[in-house]
Amino acid sequence: MTESEQTKSTAKPVVACQGVQRIYQQDTVPVYALRGADLTINPGEFVSLAGPSGSGKSTLLNVIGGLDGFDAGSVVVGGVDLGGLNAAELAEMRLRNVGFVFQAYNLIPVLTARENVEFILQLQGTPNQERRERADTALQRLGLGDLGDRRPGELSGGQQQRVAIARAIVTEPVLLLADEPTANLDSKTTEELLGLLRDLNQQQGMTIVTATHDPIVMSYTSRQVAMLDGEIHQDSASAV
Amino acid sequence: MISSSLFSTLAMLFNLSLRNIVRYRRRNFFLFAAIAVAVGGTTLSNALIRGWQVDMLETAVAGLTGHIKLQAPGFADDPSLQNAFSSLTPIALGEEVPILGFAQRINIPAVISSERETRGVALVGVDPANEGISLYSDFVIEGEDLSGPADGRLLIGKALAETLQTRVGRRVVVIMEGADGKSRERGYRIAGVFDAPMKISEELLVFTGLQAMQAALSSAELSRPITELSLVLQAEEDRVVAQRELAAQHPQLVVKDWREMQPQVAEIVDLVDATMAIWFFLIMSALTFGLVNTLIATVMQRTRELGMLRALGMNQRLVLIQVVMECVGIMVVGVIAGLLLGVAMVFGLGDGIDLSAFSESVEAFGMSTLLKPVLTLEDLLLFGGLSVLVGFFASFFPARRALKISPLMAMNR
Repeated sequence: MTESEQTKSTAKPVVACQGVQRIYQQDTVPVYALRGADLTINPGEFVSLAGPSGSGKSTLLNVIGGLDGFDAGSVVVGGVDLGGLNAAELAEMRLRNVGFVFQAYNLIPVLTARENVEFILQLQGTPNQERRERADTALQRLGLGDLGDRRPGELSGGQQQRVAIARAIVTEPVLLLADEPTANLDSKTTEELLGLLRDLNQQQGMTIVTATHDPIVMSYTSRQVAMLDGEIHQDSASAV
Repeated sequence: MISSSLFSTLAMLFNLSLRNIVRYRRRNFFLFAAIAVAVGGTTLSNALIRGWQVDMLETAVAGLTGHIKLQAPGFADDPSLQNAFSSLTPIALGEEVPILGFAQRINIPAVISSERETRGVALVGVDPANEGISLYSDFVIEGEDLSGPADGRLLIGKALAETLQTRVGRRVVVIMEGADGKSRERGYRIAGVFDAPMKISEELLVFTGLQAMQAALSSAELSRPITELSLVLQAEEDRVVAQRELAAQHPQLVVKDWREMQPQVAEIVDLVDATMAIWFFLIMSALTFGLVNTLIATVMQRTRELGMLRALGMNQRLVLIQVVMECVGIMVVGVIAGLLLGVAMVFGLGDGIDLSAFSESVEAFGMSTLLKPVLTLEDLLLFGGLSVLVGFFASFFPARRALKISPLMAMNR
């Protein structure tokens, strides 16, 4: 076992899910989106949650991100037990611990790229000067140094997604969640973006979890978790 | 004290709200226009109603009433010279209650007869020099004005002259009661015929010189009697203080203000305030429904965006503040535009609306025939402020709707 692997195995996990169930009511019929999922993610991992539609990958991602609740089991993210947190506490947890990258970018259309990145720092109460500097650094890191003054409508899809990543990492979250981040991008831009995510993971040790059904995305991740019918079907970490 | 972080966050939300308003400029333009037309129209109608109120008040005060009138006790029940008081009664008000002027008069009932007709009138002895504060100064006189308090001729109204079928220079007979309680019958020559703004004044009022009347009617007990002392203040707001001071100075007299002497007018003046409030309420209610409807549609249109803000960690309080800021921003711009529109329309009316075609009806309301809109800063600020307040409360409906947006549901749309 290498030193790095030893560190990962002894460090406190970023995500610890045990027996997580999520049941939706469709009229009077219960639909099991998650059937007792167990998943532990250690610091510095780059994990893909893969599986067909309805397998529960996005649901698990949303539960880990505090966007969705769960009906049984336990979920701990960055040392915070999400069970029993109210809406305000979940919002605070998301703000402090989690960075989100969405399929549809979801930038604020009336703000410039820099303001979009600064926005989340503003919510955290970061002082003006520091906010500006950190936003510029994040944009430069993602190759958008000279596009900070443009609004989302003036940027390409790839550029918008890079702004979304800059917004997600600028707060230095313990966990970056990306839900189908490349679904709206062409293959060239997809490769560029995945390269960026891999750099963030490898150079800065950022823990990244992405839900995808794209083999290219899976090929960039260090650990592949396959889901089926609301359960963890296969985990490359276990296979090793 | 607001922390710099909170201030900075509020500034960011304000900036975001402002840009969202500009972002939906076409739809917001129509919303602004609706608010502006409603506020502008209400401003104009309120200015006209306020003008009506001011006109009624001025007409009431500018009659022979004044702001305050002093009379002897018992005069209200028996308006005769037996209930008179001395013209030497001093008037002393402090500098904090500036007065425009005062006039001493004898004002008693009398019967006037020409060769053809007889009518009951109010015979009023005046010093014309002191009547600048009353409707007397507005008379358009055919013939001659009274030359002074010693002038023993009469000034009668045009309507009365027509009724009596008499004219300037002719003689009439007046029967009245003297200070001794006995009837006096005297012949008077008509010096002039006056045309007054209100016809009822022409029918009821007959003027002669105060000193000439005192000489004709006084008794040995009270050589220079008057039946009323009418006082006009520079400001209506000083009325209560002035009345209190005069009542303290002259406990032997009855001191009444115009509201007590003309209670019907006072009630109408008060009713006008209520009318304006009701009118405002109706207009604002209609506007609020439209506003809430549009603002809810605005929020629903941005469900995904608002859900995303919450997904990123923006708490409900800030979402609420942002939506309220946006709604209030729209309202403020609309209200300012509406007030400017209202002011422009008021100025567009120029000298007012000529109601002389309805002269009998408007006189029945104690109004003159020219309705001038009156804009006061207080009305504008109150109306503008209340409108924004209505917008503020209306904004909570869409804001509450925004709070119900689940981040997850919004993201899945």
